Amino acid sequence: MALSPDGGVPGAGVPASGEAVPGSGEAAPAPGEGAAATDARPDDATQAIVVPNTLWTPADPGAYGGTPLDEAPELFMRRVEAEGIGRRDDARWGALDVVPTTADLVLDLIRANSLWPLLSGLACCAIEMMSTATSRNDIDRWGHFPFRASPRQADVLIVAGTLTTKMTGPLVRLWEEMPEPKWCVAMGDCTCSGGRYKRSYATVQGIDRVLPVDVYVPGCPPRPEGLLYAMMKLQQLIKDRRGHWRERSIGPTVPAGV
Amino acid sequence: MTSPTRPSLDDPALAIPVDRAGVFEPIPMARTERQQEFYSLRDGEMLINLGPQHPSTHGVLRIVLKISGEQVVDLDPVIGYLHRGVEKLCENADYHQAICYTDPLEYLASLFCEWSPVMAFEKLLDVQVPRRAEYIRVLAGELNRVASHTLYVGFFALDLGGITPVLWSYLERDEIVEILAALTGAKLLFNYFRIGGVNGDLNHEFMSRLGDWMSHASRQVEAGTALLNENEILVRRARGIGTLDRDTAMRMAVTGPNLRASGVPWDIRRAHPYSVYPELEFDVPTRSEGDCLARYLLRVDEIKQSLRIIDQCLHQMPDGPIMAKLPRLVRPRPGRAWAAIEGPRGLYGTYAISDGTDQPFRMRIHDPSFVHLQLLSLLVPGNLIADTMAINASLDPVMGGVDR
Repeated sequence: MALSPDGGVPGAGVPASGEAVPGSGEAAPAPGEGAAATDARPDDATQAIVVPNTLWTPADPGAYGGTPLDEAPELFMRRVEAEGIGRRDDARWGALDVVPTTADLVLDLIRANSLWPLLSGLACCAIEMMSTATSRNDIDRWGHFPFRASPRQADVLIVAGTLTTKMTGPLVRLWEEMPEPKWCVAMGDCTCSGGRYKRSYATVQGIDRVLPVDVYVPGCPPRPEGLLYAMMKLQQLIKDRRGHWRERSIGPTVPAGV
Repeated sequence: MTSPTRPSLDDPALAIPVDRAGVFEPIPMARTERQQEFYSLRDGEMLINLGPQHPSTHGVLRIVLKISGEQVVDLDPVIGYLHRGVEKLCENADYHQAICYTDPLEYLASLFCEWSPVMAFEKLLDVQVPRRAEYIRVLAGELNRVASHTLYVGFFALDLGGITPVLWSYLERDEIVEILAALTGAKLLFNYFRIGGVNGDLNHEFMSRLGDWMSHASRQVEAGTALLNENEILVRRARGIGTLDRDTAMRMAVTGPNLRASGVPWDIRRAHPYSVYPELEFDVPTRSEGDCLARYLLRVDEIKQSLRIIDQCLHQMPDGPIMAKLPRLVRPRPGRAWAAIEGPRGLYGTYAISDGTDQPFRMRIHDPSFVHLQLLSLLVPGNLIADTMAINASLDPVMGGVDR
């Protein structure tokens, strides 16, 4: 859409009347501008774009500036179904057909539903990670399948297996080579806290000492279902954070005394 | 802190100068003659780095390849990225806890990593394991061997560029480990063998799942390997590369399927029988070619022999206890014991020294992967870059066992 010389969008602030028709002004408008003003139906500019919200309901109703509920969500949804108040203005955003959105929300929806993990296994958990990717527990169904061999094409770093001090440098380098936005899943006890090798001289006691972690999956090793659940949690987390993926801190989340 | 009598290796004055012409990556200062030779490049040679994060290095292995054109001239494997200090941890754990540390060494065949320390401890303690426990061990162990070899078939094809076989392998492997999970409670790291027996008796779910699987296991193996054996691309690609002759194999202390693919019929289950293997009937398949294809085909043959053993175990399973009578805290008399078993990759051995306390004084773990990884320097030079991964996959090292 071409901008008019005074910076406004043609037809945007103009009421749907005959005032803005060409010829009313003294100076002749530019040809493109005039054509846009005549061809644009007034409804297009004033009416909101209606997108049926079949994709997603936020876990937190207040996440997008919606009115916080003063009753339990189950009761509210029951009332919505009973009274048909889905189109009321004070309803939660998820029940509306109009999604007031920014690019971040749309991008987050896209990001959450096509997470490409990095193909990097460190130890035992990598076998279960591959099991998650293959036919029996087909992680492709959630859009996580293309395990990329290059960190430059990956979104999620699934750290699967014991992180040793020697491997820490290459792993941090892999993480830094991944483009933002990126997420990190700590798979297995060894990566969460050190696990059964916590007392070893050669291991890192939890990867959150060197990387920011979004989802922890305990288990030695976790079953493929555990990793699947973690990835679904990660999807929800990406949607709920809504573009705030930069606000992360690095540091041990497990207290030193544990 | 350096002492005047013992110079530090980090002293730059001691480094041997290296010709760095044309190399952009910082390369380590040479400490040995071998390193100086490797990092000095002749005309037309260059170094490329493989790993430690690489989809087909079977774990966190780093290989520095010296190439001339498409041909690998020399290579330098860098290991230690998965060194977890298992032997030291075992010295600080009591005998029962040590099993848990050795368990994840070769994570594709955890039961075998438990088996050799358990056998060494039993020798130290002079315990007689009940026959039923031995049969259960053999049964579970052979199931694990089938799972490991099945994954080998898939990974071998994956490293040669085929995606489909690994999907088939994982279907089969997941079925087997679910059977084992019904018995042991875990899918990958079983922690099932105990000193003097096993952790739990056979249960109904295990037996019914195993019966279901045994009814179609051999057909499944045939179907999965027919996909590869009759695939001309794979056969012509794998035949004749990485040929390991019989003398070199024996000189390099190769064990297991890699040795038998070179024509040496040496299997610890037959050569130094342990457990109840003398009572079981099975063949030791061998092949004479010693190349990548032979190593692959030999493992397929071994799967069939393992199925035979599982079948006999089920038919001959005796009644009785599954654990020997032992105190909770075991203190063996001072002494030393060595126990070796035949795993899916070769000889797994444990050398344990007891000083009379409840913790092993020293545990040395011998792992076949470490031995087989050394073959890369013999087999790969002279081949193409793409064959590096094929040869590495056919030798089947697991980095958990290499680095310990």
